[in-house]
Amino acid sequence: MSDLLQAATMVFTWEVMLIILAASLFGLFMGAIPGLTATMATALLVPVTFFMEPLPAIAAIVSATAMAIVAGDIPGALLRIPGTPASAVYTEEAYAMGKQGKVGLALGLNVTCSMIGGVIGVLILAFFAPRIAEFAIQFTSDEYFWLALLGLSCAILVSGRDPLKGGISMLAGLVIAMVGMDSVSGQMRFTFGNYDLLAGISILPVLIGLFAISELIRRMPETRNPAPIVPPVIKRPFEGVGSTLWKYKGGVLRGGALGTVIGSLPGAGADIASWISYAVSRKFSRTPEKFGKGHPEGLVSASSANNASLSGAYIPALVFGIPGDTVTAIIIGVLMTKGITPGPDVFTDQAPLVNAIFMVFVLANLLLLPLGFMAIRGARHILSIPTGILFPLILMFCIVGAFAANNAMFDIWIMLGIGLMGFFMAENDFPVGPMILAVILGPIVESNFMRSILKSNGDLTAFVDRPIAMVLAIAAVAVWSMIIVNGVKAGRKAPQAEEATQPQDA
Amino acid sequence: MRTNDKVTGVVTAAFGAAVIYASLDLKNLPRQEYGAGTFPTVIGALLILFGAILLVRGLRNREVWFAWQHPVPLITFIMTLAAICASIVAYIYLTPIVGFPVVSFVLLTLLLYTFHHRRWLPAGGIALVATGVIWEVFGQLLHVPLELGLLEKVIY
Repeated sequence: MSDLLQAATMVFTWEVMLIILAASLFGLFMGAIPGLTATMATALLVPVTFFMEPLPAIAAIVSATAMAIVAGDIPGALLRIPGTPASAVYTEEAYAMGKQGKVGLALGLNVTCSMIGGVIGVLILAFFAPRIAEFAIQFTSDEYFWLALLGLSCAILVSGRDPLKGGISMLAGLVIAMVGMDSVSGQMRFTFGNYDLLAGISILPVLIGLFAISELIRRMPETRNPAPIVPPVIKRPFEGVGSTLWKYKGGVLRGGALGTVIGSLPGAGADIASWISYAVSRKFSRTPEKFGKGHPEGLVSASSANNASLSGAYIPALVFGIPGDTVTAIIIGVLMTKGITPGPDVFTDQAPLVNAIFMVFVLANLLLLPLGFMAIRGARHILSIPTGILFPLILMFCIVGAFAANNAMFDIWIMLGIGLMGFFMAENDFPVGPMILAVILGPIVESNFMRSILKSNGDLTAFVDRPIAMVLAIAAVAVWSMIIVNGVKAGRKAPQAEEATQPQDA
Repeated sequence: MRTNDKVTGVVTAAFGAAVIYASLDLKNLPRQEYGAGTFPTVIGALLILFGAILLVRGLRNREVWFAWQHPVPLITFIMTLAAICASIVAYIYLTPIVGFPVVSFVLLTLLLYTFHHRRWLPAGGIALVATGVIWEVFGQLLHVPLELGLLEKVIY
């Protein structure tokens, strides 16, 4: 109880409250503009959070992400353009509802279900995370090595259509993580005599380069021929939300629970949660033929799932220090720079901080309702901001943000290099998620491997002589085999598909 | 800009080989077969393996070597990319000499003029306000050492 009170005193301060509000407004703005994602919002927010205490920093990121996902539904319903990938699955549904004159109901359902899903996710997180942490406290470096490796491997499998390209992305991320002084032997790796690389490559320019600069490179050329955006007027938002919610209450709850579970899997983020939840909702529906034609049943379930998955991603992040998605990877990076290493010990050593994080989650999700209402009312104004103004401002913000972490111009070069690489990767279907997870998890994998190898005096069988380590090792080997087999299969299928389509083309 | 898997496969494998080559000089820990070079060597080997699989895939399919698949013309893209890169490089080299406020104002004005309505006055106005906001947030609030440069002599 004293932990809870202490947590409450940490959360209910003017500073934290103002940060939650400001970050939510920032997330609202970023999510509502098509092409600016929740991850990009987080990457742009990190330079500012570097100067905050751990709790306000996490509060800012959690609030901005949750709000960005919700705001991403607005351009989807109004313009048929999903604001974030997490909204893509039900964009057609929401737009069809809008054409039937129910755009207010569609957006009202989005906001309310996101809030409910988010709260369900937090409740599951707060209930299960400490219990898993109690179990995980017995883990040694052997289990952590396999767990981190498994986290990386799963991220590859679920990150895109091509696991082979996901694997290459992850390996490139691991190389980035290895630059600088080796933590065990103190030797310099891949620094090539450059003093700026001695301390390694800072996470911040990598994040900004990968998620902001690469997107700017992709989107800025389109600003020269902008399509006119004319959003419709939203009448009576939230009308009929209560009765529709009651009708599909099972779908909302199922979406929340499913989203949390999917979010907790490494690499599976809000977009995958909403896709799966929508598919499950359709499967269990009594009227599956209505899906895609302006029917709210799939929309409520998927809206609930994508926000619940944000909370779910914090289960592996807080308990094991293994990020569940790119946003939690960023949070782990932020915490590490502040001297806090997420893991089971955090639940005993810093219980008030953990409880305060849970409280922040609840507050950020409750705030979705009033701010979401405000966003729907002001949608016309947000969507009418020209990207020709926005993108140059974001570029300048990125440059100063990359410089801010270490006050080093060299970090701006890193940002530019990684941004160009991120653009090339995105153009060629290389997912960037595994790369950022690898930058965070690379040192964890390596340090635990070296710790175990030193402990066992070079005996590799020590990695599998404990039952949990053995199970994790089998799972990791199985996942890696799948990555290679799927990569080879994808290569075999491509020419066959090409041959099959050629006669039709002719 | 889509590149054939043959090209990306070769680049990946070459990168893996370079990683292994750069790890050759790293010494093992005393009385151990493992050390600072172990992980980079494994990663390099996997990059070569994955690159080889990608290369084989590229040889099987009949895609062109390079393809431009964007709705905007290639020349527009190249000009925009050049503008972004030039802005970043100009910031790096000019800020220590001229100072943040001048560099930020000039770069933003040029970018806003180019990418928005091609009118100097609104572009300059927005650039001035944005530079002021970034200066206040990062320079004053977060204490990031943004240099005043030329303005230092004017103000002090």
